[in-house]
Amino acid sequence: MKESLMDIICCPMDKHDLDLEIDAQDDDEVLEGTLVCTECGERYPIEDGIPNLLPPDMRD
Amino acid sequence: MTDEEQSSADGLADRRGMNVHVYQPAEDSGLLAQAAVEYPVSGTVLEVGTGSGWVSQQVQEKTDARVVGTDINPHACRQARERGVEAARANLLTPFRDGSLDAVLFNPPYLPTDPDNEWDDWMEHALSGGKSGRELIDPFLDDVGRVLAPDGVVLLLVSSLTGFDAVVKRAESQGFTVETAVQESYPFETLTVLALSE
Repeated sequence: MKESLMDIICCPMDKHDLDLEIDAQDDDEVLEGTLVCTECGERYPIEDGIPNLLPPDMRD
Repeated sequence: MTDEEQSSADGLADRRGMNVHVYQPAEDSGLLAQAAVEYPVSGTVLEVGTGSGWVSQQVQEKTDARVVGTDINPHACRQARERGVEAARANLLTPFRDGSLDAVLFNPPYLPTDPDNEWDDWMEHALSGGKSGRELIDPFLDDVGRVLAPDGVVLLLVSSLTGFDAVVKRAESQGFTVETAVQESYPFETLTVLALSE
């Protein structure tokens, strides 16, 4: 994902802002990291450049 | 299937040119891409249920829009990203901010399906609209007004198999003005892309 995705995404559960924690980056793309809800603290993984914004009960 | 088996099955399917887990572009995809390019959409555009990513790629190449494609299916997200589409895994519009999108495109799973005959794999997610054919269209229509920016537009593909009038009525009940962007008839169904604006 690109960092600019932060402008349009929010926590799918409570619609609050997300914080971005970056573990690996390639040019302007975040490859590995975590999106963390500033309100409920739920964590959404970013793997292979793809953020998983499904609520925890839908994540497989 | 474990992740490892799944990934090995994906590799095999890819080598054989098959895509057993991800809906591939068909007439409906072509019509949605055509509507988006002709409209034309601009600004920040979300394609919900992007599947292979083909529609998003077309829109990205043929308009000046910034396009993001989402899917509930991780295999679809990977294929879309391989096409150069910015992809995210999401359930409908739930992780998008209020008023953040200039256009939303959706070619929904729309085939009416007998619950006893559902086959419970990723292809079913891509095709089945439940008993009515509208099990994803209805919640989509109920939430899409929230994420649209002022003057935003929704381009929604509807099949005659899905109950065209019921979809139009649901959209109107959510305050949308409904117009037909493009329409094509095929042997078993008529496909329409509806343009919904507020």
